[in-house]
Amino acid sequence: MQHLWSRLKQSYIFHSFIHDKVAIISSIILIILLLAGLLAPYIAPYNPYNTANIDIMDAETPPMWMEGGSAKFILGTDDQGRDMLSTMLYGMRVSLLIGLGAVMVQALLGITIGLIAGYFGGKLDNLLMRLADVQLSFSTLMVAIFMSAIFQTFFGIKQYEEMAIPFLIIVIGLAEWPQYARTVRASVLAEKKKEYVEAAKVIGFNAGKIMWKHILPNTLSPVLVISTIQVANAIMSEAALSFLGLGMPVTKPSLGSLINAGFEYIFSGSWWITIFPGILLVVLILVINLLGDWLRDVLNPKLYKG
Amino acid sequence: MFAFIIRRFFQAIFVMFLISLIGFSIQHQIGDPIRDLVGISVSKAEREALRDKLGLNDPFLVQYLRFIKKALHGDLGRSFFYKKPAVEVILSKAPATLELVFVTSILVIIFSIPLGIYCAIFPKKIISRLIMGISIIGVSIPVFLTAIMLIYIFSIKLGIMPSFGRGQTVHIFGYWDSGLFTLDGLKHLVMPSIALTSIMLPLFVRLIRAEMMEVLESEYIRFAWAKGLHPWRIWLVHAFKNTLLPVITVGGVQLGSLIAFTILTETVFQWQGLGFLFVEAVERADTTLLVAYLIFVGFVFVCINTIVDIIYGLVNPMVRVIGKK
Amino acid sequence: MKEEKMLRKLLTLGLGLIFCLGLSISAYAKTLRVAMASDPVSMDPHVQLSGGMLQYSHLVFDPLIRWTKDMKFEPRLAVKWERISPTTVRFYLRKGVKFHSGNPFTAKDVAWTMARLKKSPDFKGLFEPFAEPKIIDDYTIDIITKKPYPLLLNMATYIFPMDSKFYSGKDKNGQPKDAIVKTGPSFANSHESGTGKYYVAYREQGVKWIFKAFKNYWDKNSGNVDEIILTPIKNDATRVAALLSGDVDFIMPVPPQDYARIERNPKVQLITMPGARIITFQLNQKRRPEFANRKVRQAIVYAINNVGIVKKIMKGKATAAGQQSPEGFLGHVPELTPRYNLQKARQLMKEAGYPNGFECSMIAPNNRYVNDEKIAQAVAAMLAKIKIKVDLKTMPKAQYWDQFDARAADIQMIGWHPDTEDSANYTEFLLMCPDPKTGYGQYNSGNYCNPTVDKLILQAQTETNVKKRKAILQKVERILYNDAAFVPLHWQHLSWAASKKLKNVSDIVNKQNFPYFGDLIMD
Repeated sequence: MQHLWSRLKQSYIFHSFIHDKVAIISSIILIILLLAGLLAPYIAPYNPYNTANIDIMDAETPPMWMEGGSAKFILGTDDQGRDMLSTMLYGMRVSLLIGLGAVMVQALLGITIGLIAGYFGGKLDNLLMRLADVQLSFSTLMVAIFMSAIFQTFFGIKQYEEMAIPFLIIVIGLAEWPQYARTVRASVLAEKKKEYVEAAKVIGFNAGKIMWKHILPNTLSPVLVISTIQVANAIMSEAALSFLGLGMPVTKPSLGSLINAGFEYIFSGSWWITIFPGILLVVLILVINLLGDWLRDVLNPKLYKG
Repeated sequence: MFAFIIRRFFQAIFVMFLISLIGFSIQHQIGDPIRDLVGISVSKAEREALRDKLGLNDPFLVQYLRFIKKALHGDLGRSFFYKKPAVEVILSKAPATLELVFVTSILVIIFSIPLGIYCAIFPKKIISRLIMGISIIGVSIPVFLTAIMLIYIFSIKLGIMPSFGRGQTVHIFGYWDSGLFTLDGLKHLVMPSIALTSIMLPLFVRLIRAEMMEVLESEYIRFAWAKGLHPWRIWLVHAFKNTLLPVITVGGVQLGSLIAFTILTETVFQWQGLGFLFVEAVERADTTLLVAYLIFVGFVFVCINTIVDIIYGLVNPMVRVIGKK
Repeated sequence: MKEEKMLRKLLTLGLGLIFCLGLSISAYAKTLRVAMASDPVSMDPHVQLSGGMLQYSHLVFDPLIRWTKDMKFEPRLAVKWERISPTTVRFYLRKGVKFHSGNPFTAKDVAWTMARLKKSPDFKGLFEPFAEPKIIDDYTIDIITKKPYPLLLNMATYIFPMDSKFYSGKDKNGQPKDAIVKTGPSFANSHESGTGKYYVAYREQGVKWIFKAFKNYWDKNSGNVDEIILTPIKNDATRVAALLSGDVDFIMPVPPQDYARIERNPKVQLITMPGARIITFQLNQKRRPEFANRKVRQAIVYAINNVGIVKKIMKGKATAAGQQSPEGFLGHVPELTPRYNLQKARQLMKEAGYPNGFECSMIAPNNRYVNDEKIAQAVAAMLAKIKIKVDLKTMPKAQYWDQFDARAADIQMIGWHPDTEDSANYTEFLLMCPDPKTGYGQYNSGNYCNPTVDKLILQAQTETNVKKRKAILQKVERILYNDAAFVPLHWQHLSWAASKKLKNVSDIVNKQNFPYFGDLIMD
């Protein structure tokens, strides 16, 4: 254990981390947000998902420091009377789960397919890329409709509320893998002809090992760039799906749903319903992206010399 | 090259076929188009009679085969809402989106290239960090929010920009109604393209920066420095060209998505393009139009990805996609 | 050469003069720019029974009679009418009226229109009580019903005479010109000839309509709007922005959250009016046996804070309801007020035997009624307070109605506006025992079935004495109230907003939501 720790301390990663102020601040903020989301049931003043707690007469209360606000609701309430702070905490947890989960599914699926298509080429490449085209034509919306049909035949409507989060992770994950696949494939096509790949083949490594251990690290750079932005897209995709009744149930809003719902009120006075969750979302995405930038710079073997 | 394109064309047919099959099978889940066509107080018997007349109560295979037969003649069915052939409706709405996407693409290219290159060359400078930070805000603010803010500031408060629609259009060849040739049309294009650019730009700036930073570290660039070539020549002629591959890939996919799915921007600006068409078709359960639309989109994606693949070969001669080894 | 130059100068001068003349003429032409949520689906008034199509009919056609703002009838193409027998009303028609095609308007056109109405899938149900009319002479017609029918005049507001000569014969595809085609092209879908103030000068579906004033319009006292440009703007916020930025002059509907903003703006005016659309929830007694217990239903009614919902969600622009019929309708009973008493609700639950409540499901649309989704959420939260845990699912209307018909949930939301503008219609569709043969109770997803109520409604259908009919309908409302047959929420208000340039907007609107743009006066 101690051996591991001292190895870590001496490694390049650790060194670069300590010396990059932006990376340190970003990771601190991210950890705070992650913990806040995780511990939401314990630290939030109310449980906004429990419909017995909300009263419509509290709706659209302004934040505490404004006229009409009350100390009961620090950041005000939304259009149903839910406490903004609590809903943001619970909502962030849902959005983070879906956003990060979906991106992991997309990335895993897309990278694998992209590697295979790029490396083996020929008919396999054509087949996989045409499948990607079919997938691209079916936007998240259509995939959601399709999957919910299958889902309902197996599980029935009632189960939906409990299974909503995994369902959404799968749907959004499935809908966007072509983006990764095509990007990775492009890089693989370029890397395939380089000498180190020839060398690895001569040594006798099998295709899988070459793909994963040798080529993949050199293709990660654009993948990381896309990933951090896809998290934002995934969070908003979930919110868009709730219009069709396919996102989170309306009584359990996510961060994205809050922003969506508050959109109508932005000029009619109750701006806080969109602005506060909006700011939270921007900070979250910013921090994920900054850390992603740092990670990419650090892990990239081509930038190693620095 | 020619054989390559022909092969791709046949693959496109395969894609469209697969799409039509999947689209048809989820038709039922999307809703009942008849409901939208009749008043709510109309009896169930009348509705069923209408469904029978339209052949909507026939078994799946019968309906599908009927569709395929007609499709082979270029008829993808008739939209329930527009009461016109689906292909006609799609083609009439396409120019609106294509022009919007065209203007957005130009804006993105004009801004992302210099910004990305700058951030790659001077990554630690404050300005670079600022550019990266601000671009993130563009991505994390939902596009409809950006759009409505623009309308609020420029249309309502300042009154200098129109708040919705395409403005005056000019009919040029056939079915194409263009907004690019009238001042009014151009005015109407400004805000929607800015809104779209705000979410596309950050991705490309970051991508160009990331790729270029990698390329700048490579051996041949070091060699170019050693040779004493002028910096701008190194950056632009040697380094930049090699960053383009992933940028083009991502660009291709984003382009396709822009064409097919700029739903939010088009809805807020009442921009009668393809994204708007799509969302209305879903809301109305206009299943014929929807299936026809998805097939059209499939075709668009195959085309774009084919062009991208051809460009690969041109940009990076080491990449051979066309023809076998 | 010199002559050429002279000629060219003269030509330019001439063109310049014509241009100036054109400008000055257009300075007097009043153009009204209207934005609605959607545009009419067709130019054929019989192809669909919907608010949008009826609004269109009022622009391009004229009805025999129409509703005034205070729920009376005013003569349009019929100048006088008298009941000459329990089943017949004689209408005296206006003379000298021309259709857009130039053809004269006579009683033959009225008979022709009624025959077509009975062929239309959407209208045939409404005109079922009507028999063939009898033409007395060119300007007199007897409208006859099979049995004594108290709502004859109400239905006369749906008779918009069409130009029978214009629509006779075959079109260029060999199809009869009067064919009613819902899903394909037809002559009537793309051509019109009515007697209305406006004719359709340009139409691009989903994008823009241009209506121009008909020079030979019979009503010389109508408003001064020569041209109406109608654009559909689906997005609520965009529609309001278009009004506030001056890009349009009139919008409908107005989303409640923007009422205050419009009222604050000095350049625009907001007009609202109580409407007749009741928003309700139905409790399915068959799916959930708990709802068969009257005390449970009453508990639910008592648990819901109608007034709170009106205040907070509808921003005051709705009227809390305890019954189906709004004020002004025959069946309205002033004493049946909305009930809200949380303590009593809990008490009733205990008495019913469910002190710990139970779970149930609810569905509601999210783009059909004003703030439907928010209302459903609020109701779910209110029911949680009496320990009824609600699983709520909302969806767009295209998917909702199938689910509604399939009785997919225990509690289902439905709003209703009677086409006949009469109390009985609510009960006929929403609360009569469901009977697929007669079509009664078509939307009675609660399966509430009370034979007394059914009998009374059938009686009211042929009772022409107004006082007697009023008593019957009021009795029905009382029974439903005591039985807690359904959960009434409120009647939506209608809302319109316009630039202050439009001088008499509040005079042209009405409870049916058909603004009479023909009578509009603008600066």
